[in-house]
Amino acid sequence: MSSTDPEKLRKLLAAVARKDGAAFRSLYEATSPKLFGFALRILNKRELAEEVLQESFVSIWNNAGGYQAGLAAPLTWMTTIVRNRAFDTLRRTDAVVEIDADTFDKDVMDALESTEPGPLDALQMSADAKALAQCFSRLEGLHRQAIALAFYHDLSHSEVAEQMKLPLGTVKTWVRRGLERLRTCLTRLERA
Amino acid sequence: MNIERNPELVDKLAAEYVLGTLRGGARRRFDTLQARHAVIRRAVEEWQDRLHPMAQFAPDAAPRPEVWDSISRQVGLRQAPGAGWLARLRDSLGFWRNLGMASTTLAALLVVVLLTRQFNAETPPSFVAMLADDRAQPVAVVTGNAHTHSLTVRLVAPQAVAADRSLELWAVPKQGNPHSLGLLAADGSITLALPADATPDTAPLLAVTLEPKGGSPKADGPTGPIVFKGAWVRI
Repeated sequence: MSSTDPEKLRKLLAAVARKDGAAFRSLYEATSPKLFGFALRILNKRELAEEVLQESFVSIWNNAGGYQAGLAAPLTWMTTIVRNRAFDTLRRTDAVVEIDADTFDKDVMDALESTEPGPLDALQMSADAKALAQCFSRLEGLHRQAIALAFYHDLSHSEVAEQMKLPLGTVKTWVRRGLERLRTCLTRLERA
Repeated sequence: MNIERNPELVDKLAAEYVLGTLRGGARRRFDTLQARHAVIRRAVEEWQDRLHPMAQFAPDAAPRPEVWDSISRQVGLRQAPGAGWLARLRDSLGFWRNLGMASTTLAALLVVVLLTRQFNAETPPSFVAMLADDRAQPVAVVTGNAHTHSLTVRLVAPQAVAADRSLELWAVPKQGNPHSLGLLAADGSITLALPADATPDTAPLLAVTLEPKGGSPKADGPTGPIVFKGAWVRI
């Protein structure tokens, strides 16, 4: 069973809502490498990412009771907290973050580009993330990049257009179509 | 237009909302709609479930062990050096409230009546606290103004503070570490900024500690003893 198995995380979150310290520690151990990796990708500075991780887990401890199992997946809920905090920090510190187009892990990129069916399975990702990666691999490279830039760097349509040196209208269309395709693809995988 | 009855539009806006490309006024309007309509919240949650696994496309990384130490201290799973006073203070809050509620409220109201005569009538104070010492003698009156985001501390009994010490004012939240609101003058009154997280709703208690000159050297809380405290109430 993977460390980010949703059922396991759900049970841990329920225990954390009852202020179970041992469960909180297990939750931290299971999810902190992923959440920290994500915060680090957004902020590019270890101290800032650690600060965000720390604030996020304090918030998870305080708000675990408000998490409703059955709605968003546990890791989604935790990711939302980390992402919001990281973007707040980004705005607060006015940090100039080096934006590079290769936002994804190299192994993930290779897997996305690969036409072989296997490589995604080898990655340490939740089933949700594997499904999303599979759907991403079917998007055109530039559409994928436009969506990833917005997601990781808190960029607006026009900022993405500026980064990619493309007209605003093109970026808007690509993002919209990319999202539609992801949705269709994920729905199909769910049913399969 | 009732967008909640247009599932395609809701879905499209929810997707861009979660991705972050829905901006400005459109984003704020969507926030308002979310608060009103469960169907819109549901659409947002679905898109979070779809897109947030993208977070896992970044390489995993290990935070330093100090991060966990700090988290466990902040949530009270581990006692920080000097954290004992905070627990004692919170324990004493119930006692303090029961015993002192009636007289404190009366005193606070009286003080407000006296003080507001000097304030601009258009922006009366929103919050008040009477800070008292361990013998329940009133020492300072704090009034907060939510409109001007300021608070005023008026010492009613001048304090003798050693030259190498400062008095520091703290907002004590229900959970987590106290936030520093600033340093006090040894007598007279002083106006400080009132942060949004220091209202009575989030921080029901104000406390003053005796710190080294210039304030607590620790970023996450006081180091010295509490000298005065009082319930922070909305008026």
